Amino acid sequence: MNARIGFVIAALVLSGPAWAAPRGQLQIPEFAALSEKASESVTVTFDAQMLGMAARFLSNTDPEQAKAKKLVSSLTGIYVRNYSFDTDYAYPKGDIEGVRRQLNAPGWNRIVGVVSRKENSNVEVFVLVDGEKAQGLAIIASEPREFTIVNIVGNIDFEQLQDLEGNFGVPELDIETPKKPAAPAKKPASGEK
Amino acid sequence: MNEDPANHFEDELRRRLRPVNAPEGFTDRLMAALPAQQKPVVVPFTPRVRPSSHPVGIPAALAASLLVAVLFGVRVADHRALVAEQTEQRKGLEASRKLMQALHVTSQKLDLAFEAVNNPPTAGDEENRS
Repeated sequence: MNARIGFVIAALVLSGPAWAAPRGQLQIPEFAALSEKASESVTVTFDAQMLGMAARFLSNTDPEQAKAKKLVSSLTGIYVRNYSFDTDYAYPKGDIEGVRRQLNAPGWNRIVGVVSRKENSNVEVFVLVDGEKAQGLAIIASEPREFTIVNIVGNIDFEQLQDLEGNFGVPELDIETPKKPAAPAKKPASGEK
Repeated sequence: MNEDPANHFEDELRRRLRPVNAPEGFTDRLMAALPAQQKPVVVPFTPRVRPSSHPVGIPAALAASLLVAVLFGVRVADHRALVAEQTEQRKGLEASRKLMQALHVTSQKLDLAFEAVNNPPTAGDEENRS
């Protein structure tokens, strides 16, 4: 009997991370110490409940907020860490590598990777595709005095994401909706991992 | 003749207090002196209300205290509900502001990535694009 209980507890402990975090959610450090060192910081940790509360207070009349509200309605989490510093490389690169390693898991595809040696900057965009749906988006961007980690979890509608970009003054994202047959425009990128 | 004065006093007292018969015709004279038909005397009675506060005062005070307590409780509950609502609204507005901030950061980084992909680099600038 005790052995059976022990087995159940062990199974629960071992399977913990699987049920504790939704698929597509990365384990992103809080970087609490960096908030004090950073000249500017944006730290957002929104699970589904917080997203729901935040969405309730978004205006329906403001076009920008209305689009954001529509976008987040199908999401279950948004996690953003963005820190700017007055000195070069004041952030721990190891923690960023730790996040990047999680993106080697099956299902994650790197759709964009830009490395600029001139500016010492690096931007990577990853998408977690589950079947025909994107379940997660991750962005890792690092510059000498700034680094950003973004993790969006949930059913990501690329059309809405494009709409979001256009809405915020960003050029249209050249990602085909996975349902469309012409999707592999960025597929070769995923093979680079 | 050596009489005791105490005995004399007692004898005199007994003599004075001995029962005696009423004089002849006393009863008739007394009855004749009474009125023929005595009217009943009506004495007006108005119950006086005692101004004592003892029987009514304590329940009234208790009721008043209870009422005050209930009103105070309702007021406190209303105030707490208002504070909770204001707190939730403040948190909600702060959350929505942070959400918009997070989406802006996301857009900026997507912009950075796709700007680099869509605009060809000058020679030797970008090492790796995908």
